[in-house]
Amino acid sequence: MNYHIVVCVKQVPVSNNLKIDPVTKNVIRGTEAGVMNPFDKNALEAALKLKERYGGKVTLLSMGPKNFEITLRGGLAMGSDEAILLSSRSFGGADTLATGYVLSEAIKKLGDVNLVLFGRQSIDADTGQVGPIVAEFLGWPQITYVNKITPLTDGFIKATRLMENMEQSIEAKLPVVLTVRSELNNPRYPTPRNIQLSYQKKITIWDEKDINADLNRIGIKGSPTVVRKVWTPEKHEKKTINLNSDPNQAVLEILEVLRAKNIL
Amino acid sequence: MNNNRNEADLMLHQMVLDFAKKEIKPFDMIIDKNKDYPKELWNKVLETGFLGLIIPSAYGGANFNPVAEAETIYTIASYNASLAFTFEGHYKTVNQLMKYGKDSLKEKYLPQATKRVFGFGSTEPQGGSNVLGISGSALKEGNHWILNGNKTMITNGGLAEVYLVLLKTDEDEISCFLVDDEMPGFKYGKREEFFGMRGTPVGEIFLENVKVTDEHLLGSLGEGIEIGNNAHYDARINMGAIAAGIINHALEIVVKYAKERKAIDTPIIELYSIQNKITEMAIAKENSKLLFKEAAQLKLENKPYAKLATMAKSYGSRAAFSSCDNALQTLGGYGYSSEYPVEHLLRDSRALQIAEGTLEKMVVEISTMINKESE
Repeated sequence: MNYHIVVCVKQVPVSNNLKIDPVTKNVIRGTEAGVMNPFDKNALEAALKLKERYGGKVTLLSMGPKNFEITLRGGLAMGSDEAILLSSRSFGGADTLATGYVLSEAIKKLGDVNLVLFGRQSIDADTGQVGPIVAEFLGWPQITYVNKITPLTDGFIKATRLMENMEQSIEAKLPVVLTVRSELNNPRYPTPRNIQLSYQKKITIWDEKDINADLNRIGIKGSPTVVRKVWTPEKHEKKTINLNSDPNQAVLEILEVLRAKNIL
Repeated sequence: MNNNRNEADLMLHQMVLDFAKKEIKPFDMIIDKNKDYPKELWNKVLETGFLGLIIPSAYGGANFNPVAEAETIYTIASYNASLAFTFEGHYKTVNQLMKYGKDSLKEKYLPQATKRVFGFGSTEPQGGSNVLGISGSALKEGNHWILNGNKTMITNGGLAEVYLVLLKTDEDEISCFLVDDEMPGFKYGKREEFFGMRGTPVGEIFLENVKVTDEHLLGSLGEGIEIGNNAHYDARINMGAIAAGIINHALEIVVKYAKERKAIDTPIIELYSIQNKITEMAIAKENSKLLFKEAAQLKLENKPYAKLATMAKSYGSRAAFSSCDNALQTLGGYGYSSEYPVEHLLRDSRALQIAEGTLEKMVVEISTMINKESE
């Protein structure tokens, strides 16, 4: 089957150049030198590999100021077919919810998309929320933290999720949203030829009117999240028991645990 | 000098830098030790399309200009000079095919030059860069040429698969031909065992009644000397870039070492004798960069660049050798040890005083050019 894959990418500041607004606690964007979020490069590489193997089209999608074009150009130079930048003053100050809303409206407008790929999280905000939020807005299944993708016949896709201490193998019917880990692949370098060719490809700019966005759901107005403080939380290890994948066996294991704790 | 670079040049620069740091740097010492490029690295070089950097888009290349070409060489040389030297040998040859090749030959071979390494053979066992002393010959036979000769000291000899060779077509007439190693009568000779630049193969080829069509003649009959000289000038820009890259590499090592190494309790970077060496190296690096970039810029603007290119190689090669000597002295025993990279940088840098014309030949050429300018 032919894929139309949308890869959502974010421009992040060069890591040692990160500046946080002392009042809003948000990352200051727009002026700093930026690069493509590294996990998004893994998403793009996965999309390009699927396209090369099965045919189709790869569209890059990003939301941000005009200087994000350089990051999209880099994605075009890696081999994407087209790029769309959602850029408008009204989109400014968006939290993950408002960002997810805008991205999902753009994907709806594209219409024929059957796979959306995200990096597992951005390295600046680190939330990992936008991919899942977009999946919810679209009403599509989502598989997060993917380290292996296997396309199946009949419009299904199988993906392996790599969690801290386990792997899960999940099948989902397209269209589907995946967020990917760096273990998935090694992103290619933009070739010199593709760098030149990328300047022959157009970057389309869409604003809130182009995607018919509800003005109450975008930008600061559409963002219920208020960042009060940014810090690294302490890590608390909790004991986890992984159950057997066979449901009958799993029930027996649960009973054993409950009995051991004198709950039953 | 025009320092304006467009976005594509900047993106290329960033890509080359990323590639050099991630893919080349880990193999720098291994390349010198094994006298070869690891397959893993070489495959990535081919996949990433470095060979097609300067080839026009119509032939499947990337169409980057001479400034981007030289800066790419500089960045690669900052992490491994041998690989930069291999690129230099390829680009020098491809540049001549682009400039002097017949359309039909370019259509056939330029797309191949994005995937196969090309080499330039002018030196023969009995003569160095003096192309007038060439004895290899090309004899016309109907619509074909029959090529015979022995070319040595070919950068990339053995790694390259297609060669431009200078041969005698008449008593006082030198012409340039393209030969493919798949042609009957083409044979490889020995590979040189060299002091430095050990990753770059430098080898020998034999032509024994190799039969080519007229389209394999580059330029017109008797234009071989001009093509050979032009190849030298193109190469010398990149030799200057390699020199600057080697200094950059050595300087990075020296500064890191001098900050960490202490004489009693004082980091040696605070000692005047070390500061003196670092300063000399830093100035040498910037001077070398200015020269090769200016030469490349002149070429980009279609202005005469032979003198600046020759100066870039002449100055750069001496500056690189003395900078590596300073680096070796700063690192002391570690500098002299083959377990650390400075030792091979010194050996690599020495090649630059010989390849593409000896330092002595540079003196003759530069002074002759200056003499002519004053007439």
